[in-house]
Amino acid sequence: MSTSILEPVGVGALGPGDRATAMARTILRSPSLRLIGRRLLTAIPVLFGVTLLAFIVMNLLPGDAARELSGINATPAEVHALTIKLHLNYPFWVRYGDWLGGALQLHFGTSLTSGVSVTSILAQRLPVTFELVGYGFVISLVLAVPPAVLAARRPNGLFDRIHLAVSLTGLSIAPYVLALLLVIVFAVHLGWFPAIGFVSVSQSVGGNLRSLTLPAFSLGFGLACFYTRLLRADIVEQMQSQDYVVTAQAKGLRPSRILVRHALRNSLFGFLTVVGVNLGSLIGVTVITEQIFSLPGIGYELLQAIDNRDVPVVLATVVVFAVIVIAANLLTDLLYAVLDPRIRYGRSAA
Amino acid sequence: MSAAEGAAVTDGTTVARAAAPGTGAGTSATPVARGGPAAPLLEIADLHVHFRQRGQDVAAVNGLSYATEAGRTLAIIGESGSGKTVSSRAIVGLLPPSAKVTGSIRFLGEELIGLPEPQMRRHRGPDIAMVFQDPARSLHPTMRIGQQIVEAIRAHLPLDRKAARERAVELLRLVRLPAAERRYEEYPHQLSGGMRQRVMIAIALACKPKLLIADEATTALDVTTQAQVMELLLDLQQQLGMALVMISHDMGLAATYADEVIVMYAGRAVERATTAELFSHVRMPYTKALLEAVPRIDRPAHARLPVVEGRPPDLSALPPGCAFAPRCPGAQDDCRESRPPLEEHEPGHLWACWHPCMGGRQP
Amino acid sequence: MAAQLPDVALSTPVADTPLSAVPESGRRGRGALHSLDIWIPAGFLILMIAACYLWPLVYHMPPPVGGSILAANLPPLSPGHIFGTDPVGNDILSRIFYGGRVSFEVGISTTLIGLVIGGLLGTVAGYRGGATDAVISRVLDVLIAFPSLVLALAIAEALGPSELHTIWALSFYSIPLFGRLARAATLPLGEQTFMLAARVSGTKARRVLMRHVVPNILPQLMTFALLGVGVAIILEGALSFLGLGVPAPGPSWGNMIALGFQTMTSQPDLVLIPSAFLCATVIAINVLGDALRARGATR
Repeated sequence: MSTSILEPVGVGALGPGDRATAMARTILRSPSLRLIGRRLLTAIPVLFGVTLLAFIVMNLLPGDAARELSGINATPAEVHALTIKLHLNYPFWVRYGDWLGGALQLHFGTSLTSGVSVTSILAQRLPVTFELVGYGFVISLVLAVPPAVLAARRPNGLFDRIHLAVSLTGLSIAPYVLALLLVIVFAVHLGWFPAIGFVSVSQSVGGNLRSLTLPAFSLGFGLACFYTRLLRADIVEQMQSQDYVVTAQAKGLRPSRILVRHALRNSLFGFLTVVGVNLGSLIGVTVITEQIFSLPGIGYELLQAIDNRDVPVVLATVVVFAVIVIAANLLTDLLYAVLDPRIRYGRSAA
Repeated sequence: MSAAEGAAVTDGTTVARAAAPGTGAGTSATPVARGGPAAPLLEIADLHVHFRQRGQDVAAVNGLSYATEAGRTLAIIGESGSGKTVSSRAIVGLLPPSAKVTGSIRFLGEELIGLPEPQMRRHRGPDIAMVFQDPARSLHPTMRIGQQIVEAIRAHLPLDRKAARERAVELLRLVRLPAAERRYEEYPHQLSGGMRQRVMIAIALACKPKLLIADEATTALDVTTQAQVMELLLDLQQQLGMALVMISHDMGLAATYADEVIVMYAGRAVERATTAELFSHVRMPYTKALLEAVPRIDRPAHARLPVVEGRPPDLSALPPGCAFAPRCPGAQDDCRESRPPLEEHEPGHLWACWHPCMGGRQP
Repeated sequence: MAAQLPDVALSTPVADTPLSAVPESGRRGRGALHSLDIWIPAGFLILMIAACYLWPLVYHMPPPVGGSILAANLPPLSPGHIFGTDPVGNDILSRIFYGGRVSFEVGISTTLIGLVIGGLLGTVAGYRGGATDAVISRVLDVLIAFPSLVLALAIAEALGPSELHTIWALSFYSIPLFGRLARAATLPLGEQTFMLAARVSGTKARRVLMRHVVPNILPQLMTFALLGVGVAIILEGALSFLGLGVPAPGPSWGNMIALGFQTMTSQPDLVLIPSAFLCATVIAINVLGDALRARGATR
């Protein structure tokens, strides 16, 4: 195993510990990873900006949380008491500072509507959304990669044209429309999947999967169409314009092997970047999907919280969303740096 | 004199095939004393390659013929656009599907043009191998070197992984790559240009090909490395008894390393001779101009470098006469009117010119 | 939120140049046949827009709101109501047209705002670099990371849902999008010699921007703008679906779908008809965008 920055060791295996150290050292010196470090630093002001914006937005909303919570029949005195109790009478910056301080310690306060700690709400609801997104993501990959490879085999051939038409159409269908169509066909008419409701894994694994299939599909299908077009275009571009493909052909390799082992391999790199970045924004789509299918996820929670002026919940959710988006971007870069051997192993002495 | 045993071509007309030495007006003298008349390993006859580009027909190769045999080094020299690369790719069938190839390419007697792809694949590697110009781009960037060689081996030879690995390391040693075992696990970007090219050669030799085509194999390397790689190629050729076809634009390279030279222009061979003969008795004005364009140490300092005037011809709109006429200092009316055929005007020396330079020895 | 815009760099059309020495013909038959994939979707879109705006003017139609309960829930192909009526008695076809107006208005306005404001911000950021770039980029990042849905919800709650407010809300999504694109397109230009020449000759920054930078990046941005209209239309549908866009009873394809959602089992056509129009429009936009991009690339 080559270790480019240590002294050239003689032929003979290095222990796994040495290998790990060597790899760590290469990574630390890698310019790409220092770039990621810098990106992390710039992410911090962004997070602050997001929370500030959310705070501002929530404060600008008309309607008084205290009044809403007290109920219609509350006396002004009761409302006033509640206002003081919830610190709602403090000036803007004080309230923001308070919240921020707590947030940095991951104390997001308690829900104004239910009195339950926001953290526990997050803990309850996030897994549902994560599972939905994960499932949708898997579906999108499964639906995207094989057709792209098959289409790239014969560019402009019959399968390729069909592939193009189907993916273009699929892209254009709004996810919520697709969700509704799926419900009409698969839940109402065929009855294979439930139209609404969520079954947790602890109750029944099969039920859990069934309850998430339609929503995950409505998320994943549009995404798959998008991915598959990108992948196909990139594979074809590799096959047609890259020199290493010609070398592979000159070796006498079968075209299918060249397509998969050479071109696809390279295409997946670029593909990874797009996928990672998109994953972050996928979070936003889940809001509508959860509403349509009545899934107890974080998106649905957000909708209700805004309705109820439940500021702590809204703020915490916004933070979570933003963190996910930023983290997805960073992780993608990190993954890229780790997987690409050109970055992992620097140049060795010639 | 392998050329003579191959086809002697006249433009567009039928081909005179492997005539026995001494018969007929167009054929020539005895083969080089390397043990009797060697069977042509590769025989190309009247090769035409056409592309359709924007509704126009582009004749990239316009009637090329030559032959070569085991142990010989043939250099094909020409500017970019002369058809040298296209013709070599036509041999292994690596042209895009829109290319139309006519003529004959025979390898050990088997016709390669029109061969179905699966059978063509069987030739690529064990019979004919290629080394390309830019090893940085010709090697897969994210696949280990060893794996790229093993892939070439296992595509044709029934070796298990261990045996293939051993053979790959052996090949790396054969191409004189230092620390072969270590390089096996490395990636292309970890190697220098010269080393990468050695890897390309190792890949090409994986199945002991009988014919190696080096397409501008040393163009991307610096001069010292160039010399090393060329020496390596020639040694390997000797060791393995291969035929070597060098494609280049570098006359100096041809002079140093080749047995025989073909000069191409606008898709055709315009001059063909053994190296010694060509460089001592240059006939084609084009070849002469190429030679003079090579910078030489005995020229006066600060003198202008002689260049070939004009630009390479537009292959979709070739003039009726000699393709080089617009740029030729000695062009005359008959040059512009009709195209001179490639003919053997002197024993072992073919050219296509109405008014060749009939000079004595060239320095 | 809903859909994503394709990345220019990765989704190039098939480029066929296997050997650098011999470029291959890109498309055969460059004449009428090739233009078909531009003119069919373009024609469809023009027809749709024309129908939405002109048809009710030219042809007498029942109004999109205020229908009589007596005419409720008529099926498609009933006399006088070619697409039937909704549960309140409104004519569906008329609602489709008026709803279509909303979609196009929101889609085009949002994109224009994004293009102008976002484009300007991004171009300045890319051109200036340094601190200006840093600040603008951070602001854009914040807007991107912030779930636009929350913003839309908030605006709808605070100011009441309306078409105009939807446009504002979606602008928070389109401005950073075009900002990033413009910036990414401007950055590589800075290296080029004509830019250096312009700056060295003392041209004022604004002139440089207008005369050199903008014409260069505009084609790329325009193709994205077209696709962006499609995305904006889908997003408007989403917001209306959630009740945050055009308020009922005013029609919008999104809220028609939401309305139909409730009676999906018994009357699927209430969902299917506006969905079909929505999808067809976006498909046409995407096909057109694709064809234009392919044309642009081969040039």
